[in-house]
Amino acid sequence: MAYNVAVDVGGTFTDVLLFNEETGELIQGKVLSTPEDPSKGIVTGIQAVCERAGIGFSDLHLHFHGTTVVTNMILTSTGSRVGLLTTKGHEQILHLARAWTPGPLYGWMTLVKPDPPADPTDTIGITERIAADGTVLQPLDEEEVRAAIRTLVDRGVEALAIGFLNSYINPAHERRAREIARELYPDLSVSISSDMGQEYGEYERTLTTVVNTAVRPRTMHYMRNFASSIGEKGFGGTLAVVRSDGGNMSTEAVIDRPIQIALSGPSGGVTGSAYLARVIGVPDVLTLDMGGTSTDVSLVLGGETIIRREIQLGYYQFKVPAVDVQSVGAGGGSIAFLSTSGALQVGPASAGADPGPACYGRGGTQPTVTDANVVLHRIPPGVALGGTLKLDEDAARRAVKTIADPLGMSVEEAASAILDIVNENMHAALRVVSVERGHDPRRFALIAFGGAGPMHANALGRLIHSRSVIVPPSPGVMSAFGFLTSNIQNEFAETYLRVAEETPGSELAATVQRLIAQANEWLDSEGVPEDRKAFDLYADCRYYLQNIQIPCRFDLAEIVDGEACTFLRERFEQAHRQRYNFDLPDSPLEIATIRVVGRGTIRGVSLTASTNGRASGDAPVQRHEQVYFNGTWMDTGIYDRANLLPGHVLAGPAIVIQHDTTTVIEPGYTGTVDAYGNILIEEA
Amino acid sequence: MVLHEKPLPDFVREHNIDQVTLDIIENALKNIRYEMDRVLVTTAVSPIIREQADEFPLIADRKGRMIVGQFGSPVDTVLAHSPYRVEDLKDGDVIATNDPYMMDGSTSHLPDILLVRPIFYDGDHIGYALQWGNLMDVGGSTAGSIPIDARSIYEEGVRMPPVKLYDGGKLNEDVLRFFCHNSRTPRETRADIMAIAAGTAAGAQRVKDICDRFGKDTYLEACDALLDRTRRSVIELIRKYIPEGQRFEFEDYTDDDGLGNGPIKLKLAMWREGDTLNLDWTGTDAQVPGPVNFLLNKRMFQMFAGVFLISAFDPTILFNDGYEDIINVTIPEGSVLQPKDPAPLSNRLVVMARLFDVLGAVYAKAIGFQVSGSYGTSPNFVYSGVKPTGEPFQTMEILYGGIPAIMGKDGLDGHSWWPEFLAVPAEYMETYYPLIVEEYRARIDSGGAGLYRGGCGIKKVYRFLADGRITYQDDRYHTYPYGVGGGKPGASSKKTLIRANGETVELPSKVRDVPVFAGDRLIFETAGAGGVGDPLERDPELVAKDVRWNLVSREAARRDYGVVLKDDGSVDAAATEAERAKIRATRGPLPEFDHGDLPPLEELSRIVAATRRSFNEWLSHELGRTRLNGVS
Repeated sequence: MAYNVAVDVGGTFTDVLLFNEETGELIQGKVLSTPEDPSKGIVTGIQAVCERAGIGFSDLHLHFHGTTVVTNMILTSTGSRVGLLTTKGHEQILHLARAWTPGPLYGWMTLVKPDPPADPTDTIGITERIAADGTVLQPLDEEEVRAAIRTLVDRGVEALAIGFLNSYINPAHERRAREIARELYPDLSVSISSDMGQEYGEYERTLTTVVNTAVRPRTMHYMRNFASSIGEKGFGGTLAVVRSDGGNMSTEAVIDRPIQIALSGPSGGVTGSAYLARVIGVPDVLTLDMGGTSTDVSLVLGGETIIRREIQLGYYQFKVPAVDVQSVGAGGGSIAFLSTSGALQVGPASAGADPGPACYGRGGTQPTVTDANVVLHRIPPGVALGGTLKLDEDAARRAVKTIADPLGMSVEEAASAILDIVNENMHAALRVVSVERGHDPRRFALIAFGGAGPMHANALGRLIHSRSVIVPPSPGVMSAFGFLTSNIQNEFAETYLRVAEETPGSELAATVQRLIAQANEWLDSEGVPEDRKAFDLYADCRYYLQNIQIPCRFDLAEIVDGEACTFLRERFEQAHRQRYNFDLPDSPLEIATIRVVGRGTIRGVSLTASTNGRASGDAPVQRHEQVYFNGTWMDTGIYDRANLLPGHVLAGPAIVIQHDTTTVIEPGYTGTVDAYGNILIEEA
Repeated sequence: MVLHEKPLPDFVREHNIDQVTLDIIENALKNIRYEMDRVLVTTAVSPIIREQADEFPLIADRKGRMIVGQFGSPVDTVLAHSPYRVEDLKDGDVIATNDPYMMDGSTSHLPDILLVRPIFYDGDHIGYALQWGNLMDVGGSTAGSIPIDARSIYEEGVRMPPVKLYDGGKLNEDVLRFFCHNSRTPRETRADIMAIAAGTAAGAQRVKDICDRFGKDTYLEACDALLDRTRRSVIELIRKYIPEGQRFEFEDYTDDDGLGNGPIKLKLAMWREGDTLNLDWTGTDAQVPGPVNFLLNKRMFQMFAGVFLISAFDPTILFNDGYEDIINVTIPEGSVLQPKDPAPLSNRLVVMARLFDVLGAVYAKAIGFQVSGSYGTSPNFVYSGVKPTGEPFQTMEILYGGIPAIMGKDGLDGHSWWPEFLAVPAEYMETYYPLIVEEYRARIDSGGAGLYRGGCGIKKVYRFLADGRITYQDDRYHTYPYGVGGGKPGASSKKTLIRANGETVELPSKVRDVPVFAGDRLIFETAGAGGVGDPLERDPELVAKDVRWNLVSREAARRDYGVVLKDDGSVDAAATEAERAKIRATRGPLPEFDHGDLPPLEELSRIVAATRRSFNEWLSHELGRTRLNGVS
C-alpha cells in the first residue's frame, strides 16, 4: 500500500493528513505541537494517523512538511547571531532601513522599530565596489575581508552574511569573500546576498540575506532532527518541505534558504484551494483562511495561485517569492472596542489563546469576535471547541455588554455589530486581491477554511457578491491538504532593466536559456526525472521608470531571433489597462526582471468523488436552536458534518458542526453537499 | 468672552444612519485612501512618487469638505478661482491646477499638482476624489523647479490655473501637451499626471461602489455624520488636554530665504476659549524676497493642529474637515506664512518644517508633556546634466534627518518625519543616473543628547560621474533643532563639495545650479534632531550602545552624558558617577528649550547675509569655469 502524509507544524497544533493513494481516503489528525522539540509532536501525529490506517512509517512514500519555525524565529528575533560584511560606507544599511515611518502625519511617534537583525556592532564595511553596470570600481580588499571575518568570529557571531552593493549584477566580490570565509572557518554558515535575489534594492536584499542567515542554524537543526526522528521510526520515503510560493523542495535546499519557507502554512491553504478549484471545475476562486488572530485571503485565477515577490513579516519586508496572500488582523480572538469618537472597532489587537476570548473562561473580559458568535449562537450552546473546550456563554454576554451599553444597544445588536465590523475588515482584504487588481468578484467562488472561516464565509460571500461559497470537508487542515498537492518548485530570476523595443530576441533568449539551465540543474539536484520537468517563463514588465512589475508569461517560441521583444507590449498593456484603466503608448516598455520557474511534478493527492454513497433531499437535522440572524432569534437546524452525504441539501438558517469548525448558512441561502463532500452555499 | 458667535456647521445634527453602517462606511473610506495611494505609487514613474511616495489622496463630500484624507480640502477655493461653477461639472471631468495662489495654498509650490475629480452617482453630484503629487519638473529657471534664488513665482515654473484636464472623460490632450512641454522631464511628467488621474478614478469608483451597496442617500448622510463625529471627538480632545485661560507661545527660526535674508521668525500663540482653540501667528516675520514663503492654507493648518491631538491621543479618530469651525486660525497678511502673489514659494519646505516644530512646541507647553525635540531636516536634492551617452538626466531625491526624541522614546536616526516616505536605494540611483553613492550613514554625534536622544541626521556622499549641476534646499545650517526639558539641540546641517582635484568648499544650506564635474564629490549632511530630558539621567548602558553603534562618540558620551567608557567599551560605573556629579555641580539650570549656542540676532543676520554673499562670489567664478568647459 502506498501512502503520502502532510504535516503542518503550527505554534499550537500540529496537523497531519494521510492520503491513501489506492483508495483516495484521507485521514486527519491533530496533536499539540511540542516547541521544545518539534519532532516529538510530528512523530506522535504521524503515528496516530498511521495507527488509524493500520500502517507503519515505512509505508509512507512522500512526506510533505510545512512549519512556522522560521516565521516564529523572525517575529521573535530569536535567530542566531549574525555578522555582516557590507560595502564600506554602507555599514548602517540595516539601521537606516528605508527611512520609512508609518502614516498619518506624526505617525513616527508610534513606530516601534526592532533592532537590526545583524547588530551594527557585528557589521563591518569592506573596501570594494562594483558599479551598477557590473564593472569593478574598486577591487575587493581580501586582507580586509580576512581580518573582518576573524574579528567577527572572535566576537562570537554564529553565522556570516555578506551583502555588497550591486552584487546582483556582478556577484564576484561576494563569492570571493565567501570563499575566504570558507577557507578560514569551514564550518561557519555563510550567505551572500546575490544568492538571495537578483533585483536592485540593497536594503531589502541585505535584510533578506541576514535574516536568512540568522534562521539557518536552527532550521538546520530542526530539519535534521525531525528527519532522523521519523527515519528511526522507519520512514524511508522522500521529504518535501513546502515553500512560501506553494512549491516544495528538499530539506537540504531548505537549509540553504530557510526564509523561503516562512509562509509555508498560508501558502498551503491557497494551493489546496487551487487544486480543489480545478477538481470541481470552478477555476476562479477567492480564498478565506480565518484563524484566531488574523485572516489570510488570496486569489486563484484559472486554477493557478498568484505569486508575488515579497513577503511582510512584522516590521520587515523580504524579497522572496510567495503566494500572494493579503493578511488582515481579523480573527476569532480580535478584540472589539470603542474609540473616542464612539466608532466601533474590531482588532487588530487579539486576545490570543491566553486568556483568549471571554467565553473560554480563562479570565478574558474584553469582547472578541468569538464571544459575539457565542452570544448569537452561531456557535450553538453545548458545542465544545475542538471537542474539549466548553464555552461560557454568560461570560461572552458580559463582555459584549461592555460595548453594548455605551452604544445604547442590546447585547445581541452589539454582537451583530461586532460581526459586521470584523466582516468588513475581511471584505476590505478580499477587495484588495480582487477588485483592486481589476477582477470582478462575481465571477469567483469563495473557498473558506481555517478554524473561523466557515463561520463568516456566507456573510463575506454576500458582501463581495461571490457566485458561491465553498466549505471543504476538512477546513481545519486545509494547509496540510494543500501540501499534498504541491510540486517541487524553485524560481530563478535576473534583473534585466532593458527596454523591450531595444532588446534583440536573441539576447533575451540567451538569458532565458541560462536561467532554464540553472533551474534544470536545481531540479536535477532535487532528483526530478526529465519527463516530470516543466519551466514557466515570465518577463516582469513596466513602463520605463515605473515602480510596478506586471508578470507577462511567454514561451521561448515567441521570441524571434532578429526582432526586438515587442510581443510583450500587448500582454503588458492589457494587464495595465485592466488594473489601472490607462496606458502610456509613448512610454518605452521596460523588462525589469526575467524569471524562470522550474517545476517537478509529483502527485501527492488526487481527489476522487466520494464513495460514501449518495443522498438526496434534506440533510438529517441533529437538533434545533435559536440563533440570531438579521436582528431576530430564528429557529435554526443544527447539523453534524459527519452525517452529511453528497446530495444533501441544507436550507438556511442552518449551522453545521464538526470537530474543528462551525459552518454558518444564513437565512435565504442553501447549502448542498457535492460529490467531494464540499458544502456549496448559494442564494436560495 | 463670546463663545460660538459663528453658526454651527450644517452637519451638526441628528443623523439618520445606524452606527454600524456608519462605521463600515468609515472603514471603506479609509481603505479607498490606501487604494488611491497604491495605484499612484505603483504606476507613477518619477522616483519622488514611486520610491518616496510624495503624494496625498483625499475624498471630499458634495460641498467639497474633506471626509477622509490628510491635509484638508481645497475644492471650494479651486472652483472659486476657476471659470466653472459646481453646476458646470459632469461625470468624467478632472480639474487640474498647480498654482498655489489659486487654491489659497492647499498645495504650496508649483511642482505639486492637484487633480480634482467630481464624483457622480445616478447623475447626481455626490463628492470629489482628489490627489496631489509631486512632479519632477514643471519648468522655471532650474531643474526640479525649486530655484532657491527666485524673486517671484514666475521664475518657478509653468502655472496651470484650474483647467479641465479631462472633460467628460475625454483627455484634454492640448493642455497636457502644453504643460509637459514646459517641463525638463516631459515624459515623466506626463506619466505621473496620468497616474495621479488613475488614482482619482480609483477613488471615485470606490465611492460609487459604496453607494451601490448602501444607497446614495445613506452615503451622503454618512459623510455628514462622519464630519460631525470627528468634530465632537476633537472638541473632547481639546477640552481634555488644553487648559483654558492660559496663553502658550513659542517662536523659532528658519535660517534664511536663499538670498541672504534671515533668520526668519515664526511665532505662534495658542489659547482655548470654551470649545474653540485659537492659533495665532501674529509676530511672525514678514514675507521674504526669496522663495521660502509658505502660503499656509488655513484649513490645512486647522488639520495639522487637530491631527497632532488625534495622533498623540487617539489615532483611531478619522481626520476630516469636521472640526474646521472650532479651530480658529489667524495668519497675518503679508507674513512669510501668508505672502502676496507673486511672491516666490518653491522652497517653502524649510518654513513648513519649522511650522511643525513651533506647533509641536506650543503643544508641548500646553499639554505639559514634553512632546518632542525639533526635527532635523528633509531637503530636496537635484542633480541634472547630460550623460556621457548624450542623454539628458535629472534626479530628484528627498533626504532625511533625525526624528525628534519624545518622552519615552529615542528619535529614529535618518528617518522620514513625513509619513510613508522612503529613502531611494543607492542601487536604483546608480542604475538610472550617473553617480555613485559612496557613503550612507548616520552622522555621529548629530542627535541631540537627552534622557531620550534625538535622532542623528544622515551623511550621504555622492560621487558624480557626469558633468552637471546640483540644486538642493536645506536649512538648520545657521540654527539648531532645539532640545526640550534639558535635552540638547541636534547638530546643524552641512554640505561639502570636494572637487576631483581635492579643492574643498563648504556650501550653504540652499544652492541652485552649482556646476559639478565628473569625479567631484558632495558630502551631504542633514541636521540631527533635538533630545528630550536631562542627558545625565540617561541609562549609561544605552549610551554605551550608541557608542558601539557609531551614533555617539566616546568623547561626546563623556561630555554630553557624563558617561565614561572603559577601553572595551563597557561602562565605567564609578567614573561615570563622578563625571556626572562634576557636570551637575558646574552647569546652570536646565533650559525649557535649548536652541544651542546662537549669536545675537543682528549678528546672526549679518552672518546669514555674509555667507550668501561669499557663496555668490564663489558661484560666479565657478559658473565662469563651466562656460569655459562648454557645459550648459
